[in-house]
Amino acid sequence: MIKFLLIGLIRDKSRSRIPVIVVSIGVALTVLMHAYITGFMGDIIEINARVTHGHLKVMTAGYSENMQQMPNDLALTDVSSLTEELRQKYAGVEWSPRIQFAGIADVPDENGETRTQGPAMGLGLDLLDPQSPERERMNLEGSLVRGSMPGKANEVLLIELFSRKLDVNPGDRITFIGSTMYGSMTIHDFTVSGTVSMGQEALDRGMIIADIGDVRIALDMENAAGEILGFFREGFYDDEIAMENAAAFNGADGGNAKDLAPVMKSLSQQGTMGSYVGMTKSWSAMISMVFIIAMSLVLWNAGLLGGMRRYGEVGIRLAMGEDKGHTYRSMIYEAVMIGLAGSVVGTVIGLFLAWLLQKYGIDISGIMQGSALMMPTVIRANINPVDYYLGFIPGLISTVVGTMLSGIGIYKRQTARLFKELEA
Amino acid sequence: MKLAIKMAYRNLVGAGLRTWLNVIVLSFSFLVIIWMKGIITGWNHQAKVDMTNWEIGEGQYWQEGYDPHDPFTFTDSHAPVPEEFLGEIERGDMEPSLIAQGTIYPQGRLQSVMIRGIDPKQTIFMLPSYKLDTLVTGAIPSIIGSGMAKNLKVNVGDRVMVQWRDADGTFDASEIFITEIFTVSVPAVDQGQIYLSLDTLRSMLGLEGEATTLTYNNSEVTRPAVEGWVHKSKTELTSAVDELIKVKTAGTSILYIILITLAMLAIFDTQVLSIFRRQKEIGTYIALGYTRRQVVGLFTVEGTMYAVLAALLSAAYGLPFLAWQAKVGWTMPVDASEFGMAIAQTLYPVYSAGLVIGTVLIITTVTALVSYWPSRRIAKMNPTEALRGKIQ
Amino acid sequence: MLAAAAMLTLQIQGQDPDDILKRVERNMSSENRVFESTMTINGAHRSRTITSRTYAEGYTKSFTEYLSPAREQGTKMLKLGNQLWIYSPSTDRIIQISGHMLRQSVMGSDLSYEDMMDDRKLTELYTAALGGDEVIGGRKTWILDLTAKVSDVSYHSMKMWVDTERYVPLKEELFGSSGQLLKRTTFEEVEQIAGRWFPMKLTYKDVLKSGDGTEFTITSVQFNQKIPDYIFTKAALKQ
Repeated sequence: MIKFLLIGLIRDKSRSRIPVIVVSIGVALTVLMHAYITGFMGDIIEINARVTHGHLKVMTAGYSENMQQMPNDLALTDVSSLTEELRQKYAGVEWSPRIQFAGIADVPDENGETRTQGPAMGLGLDLLDPQSPERERMNLEGSLVRGSMPGKANEVLLIELFSRKLDVNPGDRITFIGSTMYGSMTIHDFTVSGTVSMGQEALDRGMIIADIGDVRIALDMENAAGEILGFFREGFYDDEIAMENAAAFNGADGGNAKDLAPVMKSLSQQGTMGSYVGMTKSWSAMISMVFIIAMSLVLWNAGLLGGMRRYGEVGIRLAMGEDKGHTYRSMIYEAVMIGLAGSVVGTVIGLFLAWLLQKYGIDISGIMQGSALMMPTVIRANINPVDYYLGFIPGLISTVVGTMLSGIGIYKRQTARLFKELEA
Repeated sequence: MKLAIKMAYRNLVGAGLRTWLNVIVLSFSFLVIIWMKGIITGWNHQAKVDMTNWEIGEGQYWQEGYDPHDPFTFTDSHAPVPEEFLGEIERGDMEPSLIAQGTIYPQGRLQSVMIRGIDPKQTIFMLPSYKLDTLVTGAIPSIIGSGMAKNLKVNVGDRVMVQWRDADGTFDASEIFITEIFTVSVPAVDQGQIYLSLDTLRSMLGLEGEATTLTYNNSEVTRPAVEGWVHKSKTELTSAVDELIKVKTAGTSILYIILITLAMLAIFDTQVLSIFRRQKEIGTYIALGYTRRQVVGLFTVEGTMYAVLAALLSAAYGLPFLAWQAKVGWTMPVDASEFGMAIAQTLYPVYSAGLVIGTVLIITTVTALVSYWPSRRIAKMNPTEALRGKIQ
Repeated sequence: MLAAAAMLTLQIQGQDPDDILKRVERNMSSENRVFESTMTINGAHRSRTITSRTYAEGYTKSFTEYLSPAREQGTKMLKLGNQLWIYSPSTDRIIQISGHMLRQSVMGSDLSYEDMMDDRKLTELYTAALGGDEVIGGRKTWILDLTAKVSDVSYHSMKMWVDTERYVPLKEELFGSSGQLLKRTTFEEVEQIAGRWFPMKLTYKDVLKSGDGTEFTITSVQFNQKIPDYIFTKAALKQ
């Protein structure tokens, strides 16, 4: 019977076209909305993850206590074997060692004496390897204002505003003065290869972005790193998994690790991100629920309308002696097929739209000019696994329920009046 | 027209469940949009009120060298309170604050801290500054925010060592005694700050009669420009909140669009079916002498009526809900205290007449357009064929 | 001879605190001196030892060249009055340390550059009073209470335990205006060199901070040497 109904649906476009279109649009909207709300609410999380927190972060217990002060004297050592161990244990996570540091940037004049000086923050990450996921993560190529990406040792990127303040151009030399992991003063020369604008004033105040290899030399941190950031390969933060990973990692020490022992923190366990993650979750859940309810009502209605479209046809079928139960069941099977087809098509369309919104985003930098907050200037969607099946809830269930309810009418129709109705 | 409305109403009510599903979805849209916009407005309002009450008053004067983001400026950013303002300060309408950079040593660790001196008798800020008047032997009474207390791992009654340098660069240190821990939604008032009595801090630094910022509580007063001090209006000081609100508004607008599209999908579907099923009726209208435009109008009115019914329905169940929300507020299910922005645990939505009327007007207009669109087909119908019920 | 003179003064002038302070200064400073030293800094990962050679003239001029470890080797520091320059061989740059950089710690120690910058004599900054006596490490000491007589000093008051025979401080405590103890220095291994007593080992400790402090040991010292003038020039940094 299923094959028969399917052929019917495919051949008789008037039976299937409008319902499938309506279900598809509805499902597409639901999927798009969910991906959008996740992206919009999660944007700040992802920015924070990429720039400072990672989805997971491994550091020493002492370092984690005073994270804001970037205490590199408490940095992790023997990082290569630790990273290897992490890579093996957590297959779904990409691990990238980083060093955050602070000091002074000093620009020499032609005699090599101080021309300008300013306090500087520094970020050392895997920059020179063109395959490095860090380049993409920080969107450095895309943020380039002048010059080019660092291509060889000791080439760095400078924040555009900072380079203007110091009056430095690509190709110029800057000297970094700071302290090594062991507290010695270090003086290290870098060449500015280009300038970037991060679009966040919090970052744009003054930062040097350098290759971690050079930073290790500068800060006497051979095979050491302040922190190892972990990023889920799926690309987006998942609090449950992150918390599980962190708990498993810290398990043995029960969170009472000694100063230099490594500990793992999820993004939500760092600074003020916990509250934000929590708020994001509850907002997303609430808004999604409202939408799914609304969507269900709409598709329910569509199911009812579908039943009405077929009023005449059902009448004839009953008049010809078809069993009421058979008619009812066939209507429901058809609804299942329409719901499935619409859900599949709608999910595909919704995912495509969400993908567009994820890739290109909506640029709101126009209204954000001169912003002092660490806010995204592009609103993006975030496709997550839920989006692959979420649309089926209203798409399939509501359509079927709508048909079931409207189909009850079949049982109320009296054969004697059928022809009269058909004449009318 | 009256007849059209009457007929439209009968048609809709007659359709029963189908109509009510559409109306419920539409009324949902009304309510969600008004509520969410109300929350955002309320947040904006609350953030500014909290900043006013805790941090910036109705505006401030900053000693010209002062940059709150650059602790290195604190050493030099102080000056005698300008004479022009002494009267206002005397009346309690302006509060001088002195700010210094120090080092705090919780459990032997060392951490930079911003030391703020405020008058224990001040009334401009909601800070429990009267607690600074507590008599403590061998330590300086101090109040701190709950976030800072958590960070330092201290409680009321605890002592912590603080080191500072006076105006001449001479080091000194003393224990502070925590007399009160306050909870505030403005992070700038909490994180990295300790509060001492203004007189104490002035004598600690050797800066009698000096201040870093002056906060007033009346923006109506015209004040002379004072050399060495920069005026910061409330608008300037709250611009970060405005930006945040802009982002949230832009971001949620897309949700509204999706939500309305959803509701319109239902209306559109219904309209298409109505026109398809009611060809005979349409033919009859035309046979009775209705012009095609009038018939199109009839169907448009019928569709638009969904919005009207939805507005009425939203009013029925939505008004009590919205009113209740405005009264008890929406409490975030997470701890907002350590949030990086001025956001309170409970947000009270604020609805303006403009918001409600605007939302109703926009949704009704869109509904009218969506109802009109499929009805245009009527204009192309052949009346005799329609009368015979022939599908066109 | 010197010891005899000391005994004589003691007998004539009794225990005049200002005089004690002057004699301490005379003992501890000299027209000029050249010394090699090691500094041990206890870090979280490991302790480090830095060796250096310093040329100093009075309180105002000093030139330090770091000798080891390899990372620090060749780094030079020149202090002239209240200015401080650092030369780093790896970058071949001379950098002036000024403003807020002065507050940074010297090579990770408990000392800041600023602590090294005060080029005034103790007698110019403080008035001394005798505050009792005490035996430290088997040596009899007077306790000098020093109170600032100028306003722009880093530490408002100071307590100094001075060996009654050798006029060498054995312990120093630095206080804030409120009387709060801030830093403590202990002096050990007092040796007689070229007729003067000199402590060869110093330990600095920031008492508010937990930690073991910084040890500073002089491995060799020569007084009243002929130091060529060019040493105290920026040109010497690059050599």
